[in-house]
Amino acid sequence: MRITCPYCGERGNDEFSYLGDASVVRPDPASPNASEAFYDFAYERRNVAGPMQELWYHAAGCHAWLVVTRDTRTHEIFEVKSAQDVALERQKSAGAAQ
Amino acid sequence: MSDIANGLVAEKDLAISEQADLAVTHVTARRGAKAALDDASRTAFGTTLPSGPRVVNAGGLMIVWAGPDQWLFIEQAKGGVDSSNALGKTFQGLASVVDVSDSRTIFRVATSRAPEKLVRRMGIDFDEGAFNPGDVAITHVSHLGAMVWRLPDGSGYDFACARTYSRDFLDWLRKA
Ligand SMILES: [Zn+2]
Repeated sequence: MRITCPYCGERGNDEFSYLGDASVVRPDPASPNASEAFYDFAYERRNVAGPMQELWYHAAGCHAWLVVTRDTRTHEIFEVKSAQDVALERQKSAGAAQ
Repeated sequence: MSDIANGLVAEKDLAISEQADLAVTHVTARRGAKAALDDASRTAFGTTLPSGPRVVNAGGLMIVWAGPDQWLFIEQAKGGVDSSNALGKTFQGLASVVDVSDSRTIFRVATSRAPEKLVRRMGIDFDEGAFNPGDVAITHVSHLGAMVWRLPDGSGYDFACARTYSRDFLDWLRKA
């Protein structure tokens, strides 16, 4: 499997390390159900068979965190974005929603 | 310190030399300061900072992309001049500036074209036409982290690694 880092270009997966589901978002500790929300945040994961967003770290390259959209059945990669850009987009849409 | 420190290690077809007496500074842009950094760099060095994996030669000062919003500034050390300190002043408030001269070793392979053996030992596409003069890659070789760039004038390749394993790295390079 090869991942196209938005900064470095296409590299072998030996240069990357995997963290897991990129869709989980840290809950607000001030929310009334914070305790349950943090339990879900820390432990509950979906076992996706198909395309999912994953966090990968370009450890042996540029040290950027990436959000990779990958089909877990075929390893086909649909999109790779900088995790920072994804986080900023999320902040923006969260801000717009309020 | 033996042959490494002595500089030149002559190989059959590869001239490998350790670049001695370099001032190497790692610069990381503060959040959102890239545009202001580019302005400061243009004023001081006549060039903006590469925003992707490229190296520019600003009159002997090499500015090497070292990851998103990060660069290595490399120049020959001048007696009595603290290059990193000067860079810190140039980029005051815009970047974190760290002197890494003692933690990096840079080997130069003086060849206009990487030999086939070296191309094959790299994990990245290092072919002529894929890795061009001025290109930079951060990668690893035999589990050792390394940066490589092709000199903008096409006269050679520079390899940077952590000084701690420069001996192992040189070993790898010699076998190529
Ligand atoms: Zn990368």
